[in-house]
Amino acid sequence: MTVKQEWAMTPPTVTAIIDGIRVTVPPGTLIIRAAESIGIEIPRFCDHPLLEPAGACRQCLVEIAEPGPDGKLRPYLKPQTSCSMVLTEGMVVRTQVTSKVAERAQRGIMELLLINHPLDCPVCDKGGECPLQNQAMTTGQADSRFTEAKRTFEKPLTLSTEILLDRERCILCQRCTRFSDQISGDPFIELQERGARSQVGAFDPEVLDFDGYAPTGLAAEDESGRPFSSYFSGNTIQICPVGALTSAGYRFRARPFDLVASPSIAGHDSSGSAIAIEHRRGKVLRVLAGNDPEVNEEWITDKDRFAFPWSSLDDRITRPLVRGEDGELREATWPEALARAADGLREAVSGARSKGVGVLPGGRVTLEDAYAYQKFARVVLGTNDVDARSRIAGDEEEAFLGSRVAGSGLGVTFADLEAAPVVALIGFEPEDEGGVVFLRLRKARGRQKVFTFAPFVSRGNAKLDATLVPTVPGLEGAALDSIRRGSGTVGDVFDGLSQEGAVLVVGERLAGVPGGFTAAVALADRTGARLAWIPRRAGERGAVEAGALPGLLPGGSSAQSAEAREGVARVWGVSGLPLAPGRAAYDILGLASSGGLSGLVVGGLTLSDLPKTLANGIAKAPFLVSLEVRLSDVTAHADVVFPVAPSSEKAGTFVNWEGRLRPFTAALQTSALSDHRVLDMLAREMGVTLGTPTVEAVTAELARIPIDDSLRPPPPSASGPSAAEAARRAKATTLATWHALIDQGSLQDGEPFLAGTARVPVARMSPATVAALGIEGRVLKVSGPGRGTISLPLAVTPGMVDGVVWLPMNSPGSTVARTLGVAHGDTVSVKGSES
Amino acid sequence: MTRADVPFVSNLPRKGAAGRFFAPVAGFGVTMRNIFRRPKTEQYPRQKLPTEPRYHGRHQLNRHPDGLEKCIGCELCAWACPADAIYVEADSNTPEAQYSPGERYGSVYQINYLRCIFCGLCIEACPTRALTMTNDYELQGPTREGLIYEKQDLLAPLAPGMLLAPHPMVPGTTDADYYRGDVTQAVRKQIDWVRENRPDDPSLPEVHHG
Amino acid sequence: MGLEESMPSFLTGTVEDVVGWARGASIWPVTFGLACCSIEMMATGGPRFDIARIGSEVFRSSPRQADLMIVAGRLSQKMAPVLRQVYDQMSEPKWVLAMGVCASSGGMFNNYAIVQGVDHVVPVDIYLPGCPPRPEMLLGALMAIKEHAKKTPLGAHRREIAKAVEEAALAALPTSEMKGLLR
Repeated sequence: MTVKQEWAMTPPTVTAIIDGIRVTVPPGTLIIRAAESIGIEIPRFCDHPLLEPAGACRQCLVEIAEPGPDGKLRPYLKPQTSCSMVLTEGMVVRTQVTSKVAERAQRGIMELLLINHPLDCPVCDKGGECPLQNQAMTTGQADSRFTEAKRTFEKPLTLSTEILLDRERCILCQRCTRFSDQISGDPFIELQERGARSQVGAFDPEVLDFDGYAPTGLAAEDESGRPFSSYFSGNTIQICPVGALTSAGYRFRARPFDLVASPSIAGHDSSGSAIAIEHRRGKVLRVLAGNDPEVNEEWITDKDRFAFPWSSLDDRITRPLVRGEDGELREATWPEALARAADGLREAVSGARSKGVGVLPGGRVTLEDAYAYQKFARVVLGTNDVDARSRIAGDEEEAFLGSRVAGSGLGVTFADLEAAPVVALIGFEPEDEGGVVFLRLRKARGRQKVFTFAPFVSRGNAKLDATLVPTVPGLEGAALDSIRRGSGTVGDVFDGLSQEGAVLVVGERLAGVPGGFTAAVALADRTGARLAWIPRRAGERGAVEAGALPGLLPGGSSAQSAEAREGVARVWGVSGLPLAPGRAAYDILGLASSGGLSGLVVGGLTLSDLPKTLANGIAKAPFLVSLEVRLSDVTAHADVVFPVAPSSEKAGTFVNWEGRLRPFTAALQTSALSDHRVLDMLAREMGVTLGTPTVEAVTAELARIPIDDSLRPPPPSASGPSAAEAARRAKATTLATWHALIDQGSLQDGEPFLAGTARVPVARMSPATVAALGIEGRVLKVSGPGRGTISLPLAVTPGMVDGVVWLPMNSPGSTVARTLGVAHGDTVSVKGSES
Repeated sequence: MTRADVPFVSNLPRKGAAGRFFAPVAGFGVTMRNIFRRPKTEQYPRQKLPTEPRYHGRHQLNRHPDGLEKCIGCELCAWACPADAIYVEADSNTPEAQYSPGERYGSVYQINYLRCIFCGLCIEACPTRALTMTNDYELQGPTREGLIYEKQDLLAPLAPGMLLAPHPMVPGTTDADYYRGDVTQAVRKQIDWVRENRPDDPSLPEVHHG
Repeated sequence: MGLEESMPSFLTGTVEDVVGWARGASIWPVTFGLACCSIEMMATGGPRFDIARIGSEVFRSSPRQADLMIVAGRLSQKMAPVLRQVYDQMSEPKWVLAMGVCASSGGMFNNYAIVQGVDHVVPVDIYLPGCPPRPEMLLGALMAIKEHAKKTPLGAHRREIAKAVEEAALAALPTSEMKGLLR
């Protein structure tokens, strides 16, 4: 290698002098960052590393001199903002450390900022963790020369039911407006007015002072009727450098210095976002976003941030419950409840008329809990009937998970998703089902092409500038196949996916589409695109890794392989594992509802997500053991209920969709036990050593499970709907549905302010379909094969695939599975109505 | 020369001959001097001597002249407390339940007198002079719970012109007017509000007929 | 265990009163000064406050001759067994007064070295706040102990009360589930 080549390979740098110290940084580095790199902190408010520079607060003024064309240093006439200027070659910067001018300028700006800032630190939520307060104390002046009356506003302005704005505290740094514009794409707050009256506000006719123009369309989707409709609005509170933005739930409830922050992992979606749970004397007061550049950066969804009160509601179970002689649940001691559960399960497993026991851990379990559930099923109950997927899930998905996902370690990552030139989304709605996945995709907007296989471009996809590949629900497989074959007008999807680094994202809804996973795998193999499976619930990937699926053992090997069973049995120290093929969750529940099971062991299962016929299976099970945090539809039918800990009160590991282990410890020290500990005690009561008393024990055992790629189940191979079926569907009205991020989920209970930021549930149809079906009136009545009907306001959506109606899955007034008993891709009948 | 070689010399003045003669019984001098004096014994609890005026006794949560509470629930007292004896929870004032001027009030206020060391740092920290100390020192009890004083145990008694909170602020005033001392007593509208919402309130002034 | 334990219950009504009066009228404390509070305790024994006025004639250095233990000062973990031993050496009936916040709850010394209240080691009858309490406060607490001693039940009553106390303790909320300042 020649010297010249070496020179060409070193990355270019610029060298400058800050406060007399020579600093070398990559070109494009802001002065404020370059100063940070040598340990000089320049005060700032508006600057945020993840937002575009704005130079709005002017606090970071420094003195700058730059070499002119003749090489002579030419000082700028006035101090410049270091947060918005890039360091250039030969620049000489003098910060407040060495420059009197910069120091005086910063002092002056601080005095100006404080002129209209109220002295209400004792009642302000930010007091104690406030950058303005801190810098006023360290570098501000003790006295103010301003004796006039301070500017006041009516306070607080409710931007949404959750977000409140105190404008008089605002220093107009525009972090919130820039976040809404650049990061979340919901620019519903903006700077208004001029001069001394400058203020941040929503697009509210009253504030804007131009009546006659109120936003319609997108903003009107907010249930509260206020226009700041964003799933990520809580982040603006956290990045606000003063206490101008507050949340209704936390406002005035505590002071920051009184709170203990415990780092943890969010359990509301499969992203595994880093969070900090802030609590005081055993009570969680708020949740803040953690900083994990590899996963969620510094952002979390509002659901992760605000939906925590559910675990401390009044219906929390603190002691075991057993069903007494009178048929009512009563409190019992642990030994009594364990004995009752052990007797009942023993009878159900090996009694005279035993038909077997099924295990449904639910999709929110930790890796350790999922492992304990499946080991309990296979070792204690002697069955493969264990399935953590409490949703439509077939053998095809299981084959996909076994062959492509389980035990594959870190696959596609957030960084890969951001760097991908092309991303195709199938059965996956990033904003509603992905949380911070959406923010990563949006970060790549402009350099990335997003294709979405959906019936219409949702608001989230519109913010990603996604290209719609019009797809009838239930025929996603056919759409993928047609792309693989290169037919139709969608050739650029194929070309795009063939690019280096392209990613094909499949969501949980594809499990309900026959032939969907087969087609996705075939397309990925053909184009070379990488596959990423992004489920909705936090525990699903962990359950796959732990083998809490009927056909999968821990480590991803097939339960049908004798060699795999032997390997796992050796680690577990048992003579053998059950042979009979297991059943998926829906089949287990179906069997139970027809009286085909003797018992059920159920974890955190939500019945509202299930069709009524299957939910009845819970009631019909002769013996039901429930491990729950709160009283629920399941515990109402249970014979024995064991209280278990929510994720804030236990240690464990979530595995996020990337396959990244996200371990967390208990934020609150309570006496509540983890599922794996309860199952361990129950197994001991039944005379079996499960070996899952602690997280450490499970981790150690999981590490010894052999992983052998040759023992994986075969890849999925299922055919999609036949041509005749497809033709029949083309004539009928097909249902498209998914869960909105903020809906009626049981983990969002007890937070009315968050519920108010949900989007108004509407039924969507294309104009052509509305015309073709002759629908009149503002309300659409949708009915399925059963008797239930869902009536929602009709939103005529241009560009939507014809013959499709969209409903939110589990929103107020629209519980699709429970009311209609149908799922994504099923046919429904619709009719219009006036009310 | 080592230390041990220095001879001992007492610093006490040497006594004369008489002094040396009475030395063995000199100790009784103190007894003799005091035997005819009146006893100084305080006859507590029959006779309670007043403390110094700035004695640090039990706390008191003060009220504004119209009866609204001065405490805004800012928790600065809890923060200042070196013994972690104070626990405060704040909440938002609402039009239906206005406890203090402004937006925020202390909904839970507890002082654990089995932790409190009566140092007075909480008093210094209080930005609204809501928390002060009285001269009352008679505290003791058989249980730990009994010595955690709640807000109702600490609130100052109502002075004339005061109305029991919650009730609205004096119409047309802001919290700043309260802090400036412009509010001097409960006004007609506040009394009417309380009469309408809590007719049986003991702090209501008696209605004069005729 | 004395005569009163085996007495028939119809007698105890009046015997209780007489014995209680006698006990309450002369409660002799054992010296257990641990820290600054004991200075105030000594002052209470001095002429200005004169503890003898209320029958606590003299501080005994021998626990066997004392009725009351005034724990004055913070109890360190190392001192705890000694305190318990002295308490065990006192003859029944006996009472404990936790003088000052450190003895009552650990006070401002919420750390590994200090027992967070002597009630972790011995049963406490009266807690006395203050850092340190004034001698008047100690006298007040002594009067409270006196009232308490006067009402000490005997025989069957004693067993009843012991049973009730036991049941209340079993039904009490565990510390781990307490909220607020009690946690």
